[in-house]
Amino acid sequence: MKDHTTFINHIRPRSIPSRALSVFYTFCLGGLSFLAFLVLGITGLLLMFHYQLGESTSFGSILTISSVIPYGGVIRNLHYWAGQLMVVTVNLHMLRVVWTHSYKPPKQLNWLVGIALLMLVLFLDFTGYLLIGSQESGAAATVAVNILGLIPGIGAGLAQSIFGEPSALSGSTLVVYVWHCVVLPMILLLLQLYHFWRIRRDGGVRPL
Amino acid sequence: MLRLAWVGIIASAALAIEPLAKYFTSKEDRQKFPLVVYKKPLAENSGWQNTAATRVWVKRDTLGVMAMVATCTHLGCEVNYHSDKKQWICPCHASIYDEEGRIISGPASQALHRVSVERQPDGSLIINTSKQVGMDMRV
Repeated sequence: MKDHTTFINHIRPRSIPSRALSVFYTFCLGGLSFLAFLVLGITGLLLMFHYQLGESTSFGSILTISSVIPYGGVIRNLHYWAGQLMVVTVNLHMLRVVWTHSYKPPKQLNWLVGIALLMLVLFLDFTGYLLIGSQESGAAATVAVNILGLIPGIGAGLAQSIFGEPSALSGSTLVVYVWHCVVLPMILLLLQLYHFWRIRRDGGVRPL
Repeated sequence: MLRLAWVGIIASAALAIEPLAKYFTSKEDRQKFPLVVYKKPLAENSGWQNTAATRVWVKRDTLGVMAMVATCTHLGCEVNYHSDKKQWICPCHASIYDEEGRIISGPASQALHRVSVERQPDGSLIINTSKQVGMDMRV
């Protein structure tokens, strides 16, 4: 059986090229991003058990999770900081790819996938900020809706489908909740798996 | 080395059990205020009046004011008042109570609970749903 033929062998290959062990070539930035994604998935799921979506309840339930629910503060802070970390590592990962010219053929498609992943991460970051339901969230949602509304013709409908109808005082709506907790993570996960598969397909990490 | 990693993973999973159990079972974000306020004037012998958005009903008869909780004593469904029959009927398992909340037919075995009422100086009523009282208690 060849080394790359099964998933198990893919995860634990019998041999790997020594160049793949070089930490200072990639700095594990992609791996760190994926680790942050896993932490975000687990802690996000846990937060959903106590989060109460609603114009007047979101912010209160966030405060309650942080300060009253046992270990809620740990879980919320893990979610928050993993989110911050993921934005940072994803951006650094992209800079590293530019630095090592890894966007060049044969990896040009994976570069485009990576850009899509970056957009998804930023949108997840933003929707997460809205779900806090604070006044800042309300202001951010209002600004986003108004900017989208500037697009002629489809602007208002687009804003409605992405953000619902957020109030200026809260920003957390059911539409944002569904995007943040279901749709975007699903797309992100599937695209990530393709991204990883594509690395092997394109010949792995290869220093110039 | 790999075995050590497995030990670490299992140990940290075991250590996470207790915090997670506490997190899941916490009910501290569920509001439970036992007090209900009824501010509208209550005319004598006008039948049961519902307090806003709760299961608590108040009534005034010749002897005074009383409060009843419309929760079926069988398994806790909210019972509905059928004014045509003057009966409280549970939608879940069809327990029937008379107008005063006494049982007509099961499966419930207790009358609907009466709870304590306090009259404020301004005439409004404060009902304490956590304090059960007898059937003939009036304020």
